[in-house]
Parts: sequence; structure tokens; C-alpha cells
Amino acid sequence: MTDEGVHMALSGADRSTGKAAFNGIWLPIAVVIALIVFFSIASDAFFSLRNMTGILGQASTLLLACLGASFVVLMGSIDLSVGAIVLLVGAVTVTALNAFGMGVDALAVSLVAGALLGLVNGALYAWGRIPSFVVTLGTLSVFTGAAWELLQGRALRFSSPAFEELAIGQLLPHVPNIALFAIGVWVLASLAGQMTRFGRYMYIIGGGEAVARNVGIPLTRYKIYAFVISGLLAGLAGALAVARLGAAGPTLGQELLLNSLAAIVVGGTSLSGGIGGVHRTLIGVAIIALLDNGLNLMGVNQYTQMVIKGAVVVAAVLISQDRRGSIVIK
Amino acid sequence: MSAPPAEHPAALSARSLSKRYGETLALSHVDLTLEARKVVGLVGENGAGKSTLLNILSGITSPDSGTLEIQGARQSLAGYGAAQRLGVGRVFQEQALIGTIPVFENLLLGAEARFTRLGQFMRRRDMIRLAQEMVDEAGAKIDVRRMTQSLSFSERQVVEIIRACIGPKSLHGVETPIIVLDEPTASLEKGDERLFFDLIDKVRQSSAVLFVSHRLTEILGICDEIVVLKDGRRVASVMPAEADERDLHRLMVGRERDADYYHEEEQRDGDLGRPGFAARGLTRADVYDDVSFELRAGEILGIGGLLDSGKSELGKGLAGIERPERGEIHLGDGRWTAPEISKAIPEGLGYVPAERLAEGMIAGQPVAWNISSASGADLFSTRWGLWRHRHEATVSAQFIDRLKIKARSSQTPAARLSGGNQQKVVLARWLARDLRVLVLDNPTRGVDAGAKEEIYALLRALTAKDVAIVLITDDLLELIGLANRIAIMRQGKLSRIIDARADAKPTEQELVAMMLGAGEGDQTPKRAA
Repeated sequence: MTDEGVHMALSGADRSTGKAAFNGIWLPIAVVIALIVFFSIASDAFFSLRNMTGILGQASTLLLACLGASFVVLMGSIDLSVGAIVLLVGAVTVTALNAFGMGVDALAVSLVAGALLGLVNGALYAWGRIPSFVVTLGTLSVFTGAAWELLQGRALRFSSPAFEELAIGQLLPHVPNIALFAIGVWVLASLAGQMTRFGRYMYIIGGGEAVARNVGIPLTRYKIYAFVISGLLAGLAGALAVARLGAAGPTLGQELLLNSLAAIVVGGTSLSGGIGGVHRTLIGVAIIALLDNGLNLMGVNQYTQMVIKGAVVVAAVLISQDRRGSIVIK
Repeated sequence: MSAPPAEHPAALSARSLSKRYGETLALSHVDLTLEARKVVGLVGENGAGKSTLLNILSGITSPDSGTLEIQGARQSLAGYGAAQRLGVGRVFQEQALIGTIPVFENLLLGAEARFTRLGQFMRRRDMIRLAQEMVDEAGAKIDVRRMTQSLSFSERQVVEIIRACIGPKSLHGVETPIIVLDEPTASLEKGDERLFFDLIDKVRQSSAVLFVSHRLTEILGICDEIVVLKDGRRVASVMPAEADERDLHRLMVGRERDADYYHEEEQRDGDLGRPGFAARGLTRADVYDDVSFELRAGEILGIGGLLDSGKSELGKGLAGIERPERGEIHLGDGRWTAPEISKAIPEGLGYVPAERLAEGMIAGQPVAWNISSASGADLFSTRWGLWRHRHEATVSAQFIDRLKIKARSSQTPAARLSGGNQQKVVLARWLARDLRVLVLDNPTRGVDAGAKEEIYALLRALTAKDVAIVLITDDLLELIGLANRIAIMRQGKLSRIIDARADAKPTEQELVAMMLGAGEGDQTPKRAA
């Protein structure tokens, strides 16, 4: 870097003060509260026990699916294949349930399948030195095609009440079990992000890969870890989504491509890496899920909903960049 | 060589140019006049301000103060494109050709508008013809339709030189081009060198030329006047007939060295014991070649050389960041291994890169994170991979206190610190470990004088604890003041290693002469008068 380069980077970095990056969590929380207030006023059905249970169910799949991908984004990479993994693992799980008459133990199949798909992503990215955007764009198509092959274009049903119970049972009244899973995994992922070596290394790799290399962090290994975790959790999301719906259809996970990245970014994890945190994805998920549900109840049509959601994502990034100029560091 | 008529304005006239980068004054009130039919040489050691001056003249950097006149008209250049239109052509130190397009497109880069029909369609045949004329005029034998990347390195350099020397006239119709050559000969083969000097003789008939080179014999051979920069100031202007290489060396360097500043009394010369670090046969094609050395525990080996000598890359090779193709190191225990950073750090190696903000630290993250980052695998996490936050905070606070790092707390983002304090954070990262070998690349670049001395004191303290230090630096005084021995790197090879005992330090002049390879017999043609 030339002297000017250093100088520019320095003044840029100066603006991106860490304080905002670490404490700037209040704006997204304020948005969540504002949405709840707004929709409660706008729609009578919104603030009801029944609807809240529904939101929990919807949000849980999304949260499970994008917690792992949050690590990937935190590390400065991207995983576009999350929705495709949910779909493929869902299809594999239903196939396993039907073919071997499995019950709850099918969950193990889902987890292994998800982790393997994540390993494929990670290996291509870290060993093959292909940008993660390209890798996961490719596997997005591969996994989706494979799943449709498996489903033959139809929705595959299964009959295992025990498996369904994993998602729709209510150990706690009015709280579907899938939400317990989601919250449990969120707690674990947040702890991993803040309290472990793995989490710290994700921040450092995302903050500056050259620095990470110079301090001896085994980059290849940790990059693969992140993608395996992303696949594993997407696999779990796929299994539980299937359990919740009672079937795996061709459109499973379709909306996750946009929603997962939207939730991560709106939550405050910068796509340039190193800033934000896995724990914050919960807020992003809440915003996306509330928007989806509230707009539905208000009778806004699907197309308008897409327009609004897209605008919210872009606005969130605009605002957050203005707040900390985070891109400059990378 | 007749002087231009007095009423005729100079081709380029710069008055009192100054430029500051952060805490360093890169250029201070520098005057420079370039006239048609004259070649002015510009010399100075690394960091003297040559590149900054050239960047200002070619519109890439704007000065903080001072004025620039081209052909008598005052200009503030808005970029290299603007400079080109006024007749400034430049050969850059790094090649700036696009490899995937034919030579003629590179030669006419930026002038495409003249060859378009209906706005977008290129008149390819005309382009080829004009480009070939440029090449022929220069006397080179290159088919301009060839793909640029299929040319040899030296041929590509010839293309760059032709573009800078002939382009302004044939493309922009400038009568008196101003040609700025930044070390154009560094990568030329002998035959092409001949061609280059012939070309200079040709273009000097109509152009004003500014010629930067580390090869002083070349400078003395072809220039009409030589301007010497030192520490951002113009310190002398000499006529080649009145000076020799030795005079130029003396002008380029020569500051007072304060032995106390470098803590020379703490240098260990007599009591060095066991081997501390060694390298043998380190090779990376076209960068460094067959580098071997050994140093003792508690010794500082300085490595000096020109910017393109490959010394920074050697540092990355020693640390195993960009692994050499061949060669091994050992960290004082006699176990030879291929360098690999993630294996070497647990064994006691540390590395401080030259580019602090890009490679040394993460500016947006807290001081504590930057201090702990190299020790995540052992000191700051448990066996189960849990991060030891409290230990991290304690250790960071200790170092902030001990190294007098000016930070409000260990959670302050590193970006808020000054350059010197940031560098202390980077050093603290390694001081926190049980270090045996430390490789530093320009550890005091962009650091103020006070923090510099503190860093020197820290390095001396490390040697007292038997750490072997490899110090790669462009700062000659630092090199002389700190090192027990100094290795001179030239074109990828350690050309010699000289003694620098505290009571018998070499001078800057001696070092510069060795870096430039004086006495190794550069064959530079004397200009045909």
C-alpha cells in the first residue's frame, strides 16, 4: 500500500469506530418494537396469542437456517446455498423417513446430510480457492436440482407423528417445539460467537484475512468449520421445516435465499465481515418475520410485500453504513 | 546543448511543493525546473520523497502547497489523464500495462477517442499503423499486434518507455513533452538498455526529461543536471561534470546518528552465545535467491537494500507467510523445517509486517483483540476452545501500562490510536508470547520520533532476553544503530554481510554504496556528446 493508501485507510478506519460497531444494536431493536406497535394498531388479528404462535413457527425456520450462515458472513464470505440445503436435506429426510420407516432418528440423517453439504461448500472455497459467492451460487443450483430430482417435482408426504412432534409439539404451552430448538441453537451459536476461540477467529478473519494469516490462524481449517456449521444448521432447519409442514415440497426453502441474507444484514452483521455478530441475527429474523406476517394480515399482496422487504434490506444497509463506514477496513 | 531562449517559459516549473502524510513530511518546499532538450536526474535514498514528487508532477497526488506551471501556464492537475493531455508521459516503477490486450491498444491507451467511428467502433487498422510507427521510431522490434502478456518482461518495459516518450507527441500533439522516468532501466536486459539510451538521445531533442534511477553511473552518464532529495528536501543540484558517485552518496545521506537514541550501549557484541535463528537456501523464483544466514540468540541482524531488492518478500518467506519454494529455517534448536507461520508461532516466532493497517492489525477491532490475536491457540483460550476474556483484558491492560500505549481502555478500537501506539500494540502481541525469534519489516514506519525510541528500547530488551531479531528496514540510521551485523540485499541475493559492532558502525555512505552495488561494475554507456 502506498503512503496515501495508508492514510486513506487510517482516516476511514477512524470513522468506523468500534463503539458503534459493538453497541449499535439499539436501532434494530427499536425497529422491532416499532413494527410490533404499528402492526398491532393496523391489524386486530396481529397481537393475538394464536398469531404470535404462528410467527414463532415461521421465524424459527428462518432463524435456524441463517445462524450458521451468520458465521460465514461474519468471516467475510457468503453462503447463498442455505435455502437449497434446507430443500435438499428436507427431501432427503422425507425419503429416509419413508424408505426406512424411521422416526425421530431421521434427524441424525438430516444433520449429517447438512454437514456434508456444508463441507462441500467449505472445501471448494478453502481448498479450491474459489470465491464463496461463486461456490455457493453453483451449489445453490446443484443442491436444488438434486432435491427436485429426488422429489420428482411433487410434494413428498410422510407419516411419522413422532417426527412431526419435533416441530409442532408444544412442550411449553403456545410455544411450538421448533421455536425451542431455534432459541436453543441461537443461545449456543451466540455463545460460540462471543465466548469461544472459533468465534473470535471468525471476527479476525472477517476483519482482515491478511492479518489473520500473519498471526498464524489456520485459515483453511476455520473457513471449512464455518461452512460445515452453516450446512449443519441449515440441515437442522430443513428437517424441522419438513416436520412442521408434514411434507417436503419443491418450494421448500425458496424464500430463504433472500430472507437469510436479509436477516443477517438487517441484524447488523456487515457483508464485508468482521463486524456485527451471530447473536444479532435474532433481531434481523424478528424484523423479517414480523414484516412478512404483519403485511399478510394487513392484506398487502405478495408482490407489494416483496417490494417492501427489499427496500427494508437496502435501507438497513444504507443506514448501518452511514453509521460506521464499515466497508473501508477491508 | 543550447539553453532555450530566455523569454521561452520552462516546460515544467514547480515552486515550493510540499506534501504531508500524517506525521511524516514527505516533501518540503521543493523547487524543480524542467526545460526542453534537457535531462534532469533525480536521486535520493528510499523515502527521500522521489515518488511523492513524481506523483505530484504527473497529477496522481495533489500537493498541500506550492505551484506547478506547465509551458508557462499555472496548472492544478486533476489526475494522470489531465497531466497526459498537457504532455506529461510517465514510466512507472511498477509496470502499468494490461496483459490481456494487444500491444497497440496499450500504446494508445486513453487516446481511443481519436480512433472511433460513430462513437463506438474502433478504427483498428489506423490504430495498428500509428502504434507501429511509434515503435519503429523508437527503433524497437516489436509487432504491436502481439498480445502484451506474450512479451518478455524487458520488452514490456520497452513498450512502457515508448508510450511515455513518444506518446505525448504522436498522440496528444504536444510539442515539448515532459517525460518522467521512474527507474525505467531496473528491469531492462542489456540489449534493450542500449535501445533505451538511444531513445533518450532521440527524445531529448524535443522533450524535457526527468530521470530517476538508483544507478548513479547512468545518472551521471545521461543527465544535464542532477537534483538530490533527502528527507523530502531538495538538498543539492549538481552538474555531472563536477561530481562523481561518491559525491552523490554523500549528498543523499549523511545525518547525525545519536548512539543513545538507538541504545547502542545495550548492544550485545561479545557475549552472544548459542545459535538463535538460521536460514539456508531460501529461494522464491524472481524474488529472492538462495538466501542463507545464521544469527545468535540476542543478536540483531539488519537487512537493508533498495525497495526492489526483495527484502520485504524475504521477511515474509522467513516467517512462512508467503512460503519460499525451497529452503529451510530453524529457530535456534537445529531442527530444520520449511517455514510455515502457523507452525512457527507456537515454536516462538513473531512477525511484524511493514503494512500495519493492511496486514498488521485490524483497525476496527479493540486493542485487546489485536494483542491477543496471535495467541488464540494457547494463551487466550482453554483446552475446550473457550475464550479467556478476563485473562485477555488483564494481559492487555498490563501491556497498555508497560508500553505506555495511549488508549483509553483495552476495548478502544485500534483505529483511534496514533501510528506509534498502534505499532506498540502490534509489538505487544508478540511480547505477550514466549518469543525466540522476531522478524520485523520496517517496524517504525509512520511512527513519531518518541515512539520510535520506545520501540528501539523494547527491541534491545528482547535481545537481553536472548531473542534473535531480523530487522528489515529502509531507515538507514535505524539499520546502522540497531544491528549487530548488516546484510545487504541486492536483486534478491544477500550480496554481503558486514559487521556493525557498537564501537565500529559503518556509515550511511558505505551502506548506500553497497546497496547500489558500487564497484560491481555497472556497464552504462557514456552519452554520445
